[in-house]
Amino acid sequence: MILLSVTLAEPQHFSLWEKLLLAALVIASASLFWRRFGTVLDKILQSKKDADFSLSPLGRRVWDFVWEVICQAKVIRQRPLPGLAHAFVFWGFCAFVLVTLNHFATGFGIGFLNPGGAIGRCYFYLAAAFALACAVGILGLFVRRFFVRPRWLGQKLSYESGFIALLIFVLMVTYLASFSVADKSPAAGALWWIHTLALLIFLPIIPHTKHLHLVLSPATVFLSRGGFSRIPPLAGDEDFGLVTGKDLTRLVSLQAYSCVECGRCTEHCPAANTGKLLNPKEIILGLRNYLNEYGPASDQPLLGKYIAQEAVFQCTSCGACEFQCPVGIEHVPIIVGLRRGAVNTGAWEDDHGGKLFLALERGSNALGMSAAERDKFIQKQELPIFDGTQEYCLWLGCMGGYDPKGREIVADFARVMNYLGTTYGVLRKEKCTGDPVRRLGNDLVFQQLAEANLEALAQNKVKKIVSICPHCVRTIQEDWKEYGTPPEVEHHSEFLARHLSQLPPVQSEEKIVYHDPCYLGRYRNVYEEPRKTVERAGELVEAPRSHERSFCCGAGGGLAFLGEETGERVSHVRAEELAGTGAATVGTACPFCNSMFRDAFSEKGDGAPQLLDIAQLTARSLPPAESGSGG
Amino acid sequence: MKIIVAIKQVPERDAQVRINAAGKWIEETDLQWAMNESDAYALEEALQLKEKGGGEVVVVSAGPERVGSTIREALAKGADRAIHIDCDDLAQRDALSVARLLAEAIKPESPDLVLTGLQSDDLGYGQTGVILAALLELPHASLLLHVEQTSTGLHVKRELEEGWFQNIELPTPAVLTIQSGGSKLRYATLMGIKRAKTKEVRRVTPAELGVPPSAVVVLDRIAQPQKQKSTQILPGSPKEAAAALVEKLKFEVRVL
Repeated sequence: MILLSVTLAEPQHFSLWEKLLLAALVIASASLFWRRFGTVLDKILQSKKDADFSLSPLGRRVWDFVWEVICQAKVIRQRPLPGLAHAFVFWGFCAFVLVTLNHFATGFGIGFLNPGGAIGRCYFYLAAAFALACAVGILGLFVRRFFVRPRWLGQKLSYESGFIALLIFVLMVTYLASFSVADKSPAAGALWWIHTLALLIFLPIIPHTKHLHLVLSPATVFLSRGGFSRIPPLAGDEDFGLVTGKDLTRLVSLQAYSCVECGRCTEHCPAANTGKLLNPKEIILGLRNYLNEYGPASDQPLLGKYIAQEAVFQCTSCGACEFQCPVGIEHVPIIVGLRRGAVNTGAWEDDHGGKLFLALERGSNALGMSAAERDKFIQKQELPIFDGTQEYCLWLGCMGGYDPKGREIVADFARVMNYLGTTYGVLRKEKCTGDPVRRLGNDLVFQQLAEANLEALAQNKVKKIVSICPHCVRTIQEDWKEYGTPPEVEHHSEFLARHLSQLPPVQSEEKIVYHDPCYLGRYRNVYEEPRKTVERAGELVEAPRSHERSFCCGAGGGLAFLGEETGERVSHVRAEELAGTGAATVGTACPFCNSMFRDAFSEKGDGAPQLLDIAQLTARSLPPAESGSGG
Repeated sequence: MKIIVAIKQVPERDAQVRINAAGKWIEETDLQWAMNESDAYALEEALQLKEKGGGEVVVVSAGPERVGSTIREALAKGADRAIHIDCDDLAQRDALSVARLLAEAIKPESPDLVLTGLQSDDLGYGQTGVILAALLELPHASLLLHVEQTSTGLHVKRELEEGWFQNIELPTPAVLTIQSGGSKLRYATLMGIKRAKTKEVRRVTPAELGVPPSAVVVLDRIAQPQKQKSTQILPGSPKEAAAALVEKLKFEVRVL
């Protein structure tokens, strides 16, 4: 009962001079806050409207807000210790909203929470618990930033962060200390004033530093486009992507100002981790610097002073950055937007890129081979032609139709479908889905490919597509929507997982490490289906980085076609990691990943693990195929 | 410099070509079309010359309605305007007749330079550009990899056999036929396509040009190439087989 007799001390009397001083300080602090915040808000609101923005589905927005902002789930889940520390600070702040309002009200003699009353007492105790957690949390974050110093936070120590941490700590300590002093004591007055000053100093610092995220990021999370890595359609005849400040939309500008510089994006970026110029955090901060210097009405090119073209074209579009971002920044649409700006205006010059574009302007596939090669493969493999009577259209894709290893995967998947008695057929003519040109920002060629394919599929009355390539699946399902209504499409891992019970059981202790392809995992949220097929074929081993934290193979974003990388090869780093698990076999679910690892392992020679797609892992247990049993 | 580029639309590289019922030409329905490859290089040379020395690039193309897409592609890549010689009977005309069409369309423009691909990917006569030079009464050079503007005229690089090159100086105006592969083709851009919509495409008919359909060379019949497989397996030990292989490469195939 001793504890309950303790109440929050509040100075009972303020002289007129004190009240005037308080009013002056509040006005000064608020106007300093607004002077900067108003400018930022102006820059965001003066940016171009997002043509495709819609508040619906509201449910998704509310859920994201509750889960990511209120619950701090993403922050905690992806970095548990610092995440919890951050959550304590955040929840502390939430609890302090009422406390702070009452605090200032007390100063003007109109306090509305009575520390002696039941409600006031309860609330102040609750807030005290939060204050304690918040103080511990901020202390932890301080220790992490100044002593642990993870490299993601940048080389330079941020003294402003230290100062902010100090202010928050002071706020919490003065609040807690107020429980141990008497109401009318000078100590109570002193604590009250220190608490007040800390608040009034804190407020104007917010918009001047990355602590702007306190105000903006809840809105950023709520307003984000949603749909992972969704590339917005171009709006009108003069929109070529992100070329100058005039092309920055409100969402992009809001996201640029929301960045909290935590470096989660950099920590997971395959380019940044293999010695390339690209650092996703610097792209976002580059946009912010651009907005600060030139503003959203400027004709200055976005690529130049603050963002390097070279960096923008090193992105594999793996989406690890976007997945990790705790404040709702959508990096991939921004990076693709910058690429669109460079490619749609012809500003990007690259031998390999130009060759790829020409191959897809004129030909049918990204590999630049003759379409007759695909016909030969179909004939040799006796793949049935889709005629509208079969259940599935088996989409070959460039890798499945032209790449030797990709063809093996298709052949094995066809064997499984034959065994199951599933009817399927391939299109006589198929063009690249446009995935590499879409991610490289070539809207002209992408539109041509999407329209040609949509027309061919409609002519053939295709209802359901199955493909061995997550890139094809993603592009067909999401990106083609801009130009029509694509048929239903699924990845072969999903098909296989549904039919595993109809396949003969396998007894094997072979250790198989599964690599999550970016376009299947983060992009499509398919993690368990391919694992089930692996578990049937042997003993599943997890890589150190797996599921939504999987590390890219280096092929995405059109990079498979762009020639030699600078720095270390992404594929080699990942292949090393997979081999390091000691598994005898690497299981893949994407022909691009497969091709990248094939190349990486070929340098390893005999010591390299075996490399098999999940279709191959599944098909190898089947009895040998009778010839001509297709479809 | 005012540069005219004569371009032709041909079946796309991957197109499956079928012979029509008359056996005189290919079945044109359901075919995909593209810009003739060496014409694309001629256009690239013209655009590079314009970028370095200023001037205007005008493309001219003969053919039916569908040629419009190839003309737009040329405009999108940077040509300033176009002349479309609207005719449905291109297949019935020989190289002389087509060159006459082109010459009549080009004459009123009095260009400083006329470029075209060295041959078409469909018929492959390799004559249209050369005859065009004769009709325009202009000097010409063929099989060019590279064209440069100099203070006195042009400096061009020709490709000869066996890795030899010939560098020559030429006065302007001139007619040049361009070889594939001399430079890197630029890719078409969305901005280019949008800008191309506002560029002028003037249509003329063979009648307006005063060129009646006539052919000195008449196409008699076309046929699909016959495929032949004559695989031989050389017997004996590796050493004997290798010796036999060398023998065959030397005296039968004559590549050694």
